[in-house]
Amino acid sequence: MAAYILRRVLQAIPIVIGVAVVAFFIVRLAPGSPVDKFRGGRVSPAVIENIIKLYQLDQPLPNQLWSWITTFPQVWRPDAWGYSFTDGKPVLYDLGNKIPPTLLLMGTSLVLTAIISIPLGILGAVKQYSRSDKVITILATIGYAMPTFWLGFMLRTVFGANLKWFPLFGAQTLGQSGLNVPDLLWHLVLPVTTLTIVAVAGWSRYMRSSMLEVLRQDYVRTARAKGLSNNRVVYRHALRNALIPIVTLFGLSIPALLSGAAVTESVYSWPGLGYLAVDAVRTRDYPIVLAFVMIGAIMVILGNLIADILYAFVDPRIKY
Amino acid sequence: MERAEQGPRAAHAVSQTDVDEVDLTPVRTYWQLVRQRFLQHQLAVIALIVLIVLVAAAIIIPWVSGTAGTRTDLKLINKPPSLTAPLGYDELGINTFARLMGALQTSLLVAFSAVIIIVSLGTVIGAIAGYAGGWLDNALMRFVDIILSLPSFFLIVMLVAFFQTGNMWVVVFAIGLTGWTTAARLVRAEFLSLRTSDYVQAAQALGASDRRIVVRHILPGALAPLVVAATLGIADSVVVEATLSFLGFGIMPPAASLGNMLTKAQDYVFRSPIMIWYPGLVLIAVVLAASFLGDGLRDALDPRQRIEAK
Repeated sequence: MAAYILRRVLQAIPIVIGVAVVAFFIVRLAPGSPVDKFRGGRVSPAVIENIIKLYQLDQPLPNQLWSWITTFPQVWRPDAWGYSFTDGKPVLYDLGNKIPPTLLLMGTSLVLTAIISIPLGILGAVKQYSRSDKVITILATIGYAMPTFWLGFMLRTVFGANLKWFPLFGAQTLGQSGLNVPDLLWHLVLPVTTLTIVAVAGWSRYMRSSMLEVLRQDYVRTARAKGLSNNRVVYRHALRNALIPIVTLFGLSIPALLSGAAVTESVYSWPGLGYLAVDAVRTRDYPIVLAFVMIGAIMVILGNLIADILYAFVDPRIKY
Repeated sequence: MERAEQGPRAAHAVSQTDVDEVDLTPVRTYWQLVRQRFLQHQLAVIALIVLIVLVAAAIIIPWVSGTAGTRTDLKLINKPPSLTAPLGYDELGINTFARLMGALQTSLLVAFSAVIIIVSLGTVIGAIAGYAGGWLDNALMRFVDIILSLPSFFLIVMLVAFFQTGNMWVVVFAIGLTGWTTAARLVRAEFLSLRTSDYVQAAQALGASDRRIVVRHILPGALAPLVVAATLGIADSVVVEATLSFLGFGIMPPAASLGNMLTKAQDYVFRSPIMIWYPGLVLIAVVLAASFLGDGLRDALDPRQRIEAK
């Protein structure tokens, strides 16, 4: 097992380096020079020269790529990922501030999605083609078809602006300082609801088909033939195997969850990574943009890695 | 050896008693089976009809109404519905129905064009990887792994923002260039399994060229998963275009798209809340129709699916 984990981790390293190279080129492919946004304003040419020196923009492209590849893994150095063009702080410092709110949003939503969609999927599979199955399927499809931003906007309009039950934006009431847990949770309700509704739609469909597949298998028929109660067959025999693909779903849903979080954060001005990144694209804050692509990719790679390792743990049929 | 065994059996089949037991159901080709399975899927049939109606409306109505979807008229501001304007006029005096159909046309054009890029890129790269194998396959698939690890929606936002915000074709290319990976994986998987199949080896033994084997023998096998991926890709692209508009990176007015109509309606949500429903419902109709159609096609094109006994 340890050897398998080590091998999977080692396989992930070239992917991370590849991502760093591709991300570097995508950001540098943008027309014009990264310092163009400073020109023509009140910024003096000498300052622009300094910025070009600081970011080694006067160096040939391969040299720049090499210095990025060799410095980005040194995350213990605060300046390893450069400085933000907008607030002048180290990129890693800005990211450090924005990662916890995003993880809180994504994590809460992931847990709620699992709690809601697994029973819904079981219900849909056990009572296939019943009225409740049809209602779940239709609601799930509509949930899947609704754009995240529109759902978020509607929830915000109804429950935030009209009913005034929940705050309209942000992660804490204005004028507050320090961590206030009830206030934070109150602000978290609408963003998490938005993200969860979208995710539940996909997960419950997946859980339903996984459960249907297991229920058709011979060992389930054997269990029924032995005279076990329906509940015992469904929850003791079938459920365990039906949950195995859900483990993969956890890894696979990280990218969708990330982009969903970026949109949700923009709707509710949630001070997380996605909101920071969309803002950075708008202001052409290239170091932050590059950093978000890297962090997003690393989260996806880690999600897949964890899913693979969990898969090997829960499914004894997997040989590693 | 096999032939010798079949010989007497074939002769035996001619006798009168056996003829009565011959299966008289007509032989059905793959496409006849596909059609039959598809027609059994009621939701998919409805989805197909809805999609055809939407596409026809998006082509015909803007063509008939000309510039009505962008023309403002101060005298017509917020006028109620009439025969030539079934949804009334908006706060700029634009015919809402004409604008909605123009928006549908733009959004569908974006989605279909993006899907064409996704399918062509995916097919070419998947086919090269799956047919060539070896180091080329390895290199291409690692590249696919890298692209799949990148946050794709954010890449689209980045490409649109950095190249030209508001240009429809930049949106199309951004969606196409980030979305081909899944199609490439599907095509490659199909190529890997078909490349060593008996009939492809037979074609090779007969001296067929690589091009003929790929185009005539293997690609048709990869058609089914590609068609499904393309249909679902249309649903995704429409949503991506709308989300780009919401974030301020989409197609800009005066050109209309479902995304920018939806985004603009949000500013008037308290004064005229009805305006958010028109583009919203059309968008949901497109997405639902495309995804139900995709599900139906997936079942219909799968040769392992049985025809339900009536």
